Amino acid sequence: MSDPYSVLGILPEASDEEVKRAYRDLARKYHPDNYQNNPLADLAEEKMKEINEAYAAITRSRSGGGAGPGDYGFQGRQYQQQYTYQQQSTDNGALYSQIRQCINMGNLIQAEQLLRSAPRQTAEWYFLSGHLAYQKGWLDEAMQHFQTAYNMEPTNVEYRQALSMMQQGGGGYRPSGYRYSSCDPCTAYMCFSLCTPWGGPCC
Amino acid sequence: MFGYVRPREDTLPDGALERYTAVYCGLCHTLGEAYGTPARLFLNYDFAFLAMLLAPETTDVDIQHKRCFLHPFKGKPACKNREWLSVSAAESLILSRWKLMDTLQDDNLAGRLEARSFLRILDQGYQKAREKCPAFDASVQYHLRELRKLEQEECPMLDRVTDNFAALLQAATPVTENAKKARILEQLLYHIGRWIYLIDAVDDLEEDRISNRYNPVAARFPQWTDADAAYLRQMMDHSLSLAGAAFQLLEPTPWTDVLENILYSGLPSVEELVFSGRWREDQKKHRRKSNERSV
Repeated sequence: MSDPYSVLGILPEASDEEVKRAYRDLARKYHPDNYQNNPLADLAEEKMKEINEAYAAITRSRSGGGAGPGDYGFQGRQYQQQYTYQQQSTDNGALYSQIRQCINMGNLIQAEQLLRSAPRQTAEWYFLSGHLAYQKGWLDEAMQHFQTAYNMEPTNVEYRQALSMMQQGGGGYRPSGYRYSSCDPCTAYMCFSLCTPWGGPCC
Repeated sequence: MFGYVRPREDTLPDGALERYTAVYCGLCHTLGEAYGTPARLFLNYDFAFLAMLLAPETTDVDIQHKRCFLHPFKGKPACKNREWLSVSAAESLILSRWKLMDTLQDDNLAGRLEARSFLRILDQGYQKAREKCPAFDASVQYHLRELRKLEQEECPMLDRVTDNFAALLQAATPVTENAKKARILEQLLYHIGRWIYLIDAVDDLEEDRISNRYNPVAARFPQWTDADAAYLRQMMDHSLSLAGAAFQLLEPTPWTDVLENILYSGLPSVEELVFSGRWREDQKKHRRKSNERSV
């Protein structure tokens, strides 16, 4: 493993407070919420793991080899619920789960072929088409399909979440100094505050 | 390309402007040295952005003081010619060449004649640039042809039209052994390409309407209401946010702060100016200001 201090971008002389701040800044940047449905989510996850390990190593060494103060880690928490396969009682269930699998593995061409072969265009068909379009970066189509899926089945949580993700324009991390000027940064970040590793507001 | 991709000066951190201009000047010198003086005419902001993205993590700023015909006495600090600058220079020349070839098929006679004379002075440099980046050359040729086809069909599917320009820029990712970095750059450039194509279409809306030309945004939004504009803008911001998420995964270089400024301040400001109809006027002001400064 590389030097934990350089992973956090600080010097070994940094105070405990500085270590914590550096860790929090990086954790905010690579937080899984910022990479939901993102084709690069796996790389962000890798970064997050590196940061967690570096932070754990530093706190461990500073507390004399004992357990670190509190667990800030993300390990073991499953963030990609939207990818998990849901058993659907529709006739297309098997086909749809295959399509989901293709999209998750990045095999977009096959997913597209399978979608075309589906006998009926159900709400889930539109949802999956939207998901596929999003992976390709075709945001207009993604929005249209998610909207149709939602209109057909407004009670479905998955469809509603997908649509509201699009309506928020992706959201995501902004570096300090470049927060939205038109509104108070704290208000703009409210939606993420509950997801911060320390469970509190992020700014 | 189009010159939309630039930092916002008033929000740049200290010292960043100097590092940015050094890349810009370095790119200009590289164009001249590798492809002949006329190639320097095709210098633009977008490829200075690309050059900074391609700079490897291990790079130093590595500046030398150089004179040129615009700054014959005082000279200016410029980055030394390195692989990342020379790839970016080659790619900028390739794109300029194919855009001029594309203009040859336009109806406008004056435009065609102008393109032909530019092509003549560009040709020698272009042949060398093509040898350096053959894959990019093939990709630009392919995607501009597809784009023209869709434009002639007056395609109303905005994503499909835009995809060609986005994929074209995505192809600027150099062949690298670092598969992770390539994935990140591809995603970043795809969404920047999308954004550039869309902002250019919005900027041309009025002009295209008057001359009755196809415009991808007008084809998708025939009414072009305020709600349509808000929808499109949100979609473009979404692309910027996906580009930003990709950018954050890159290892830091001496230009990370400049790139960050472009993505989070420069591009949103340009977007605001274009959507509020103030972009062209601002461009004129900008040009006057930089002329005064260089004298």
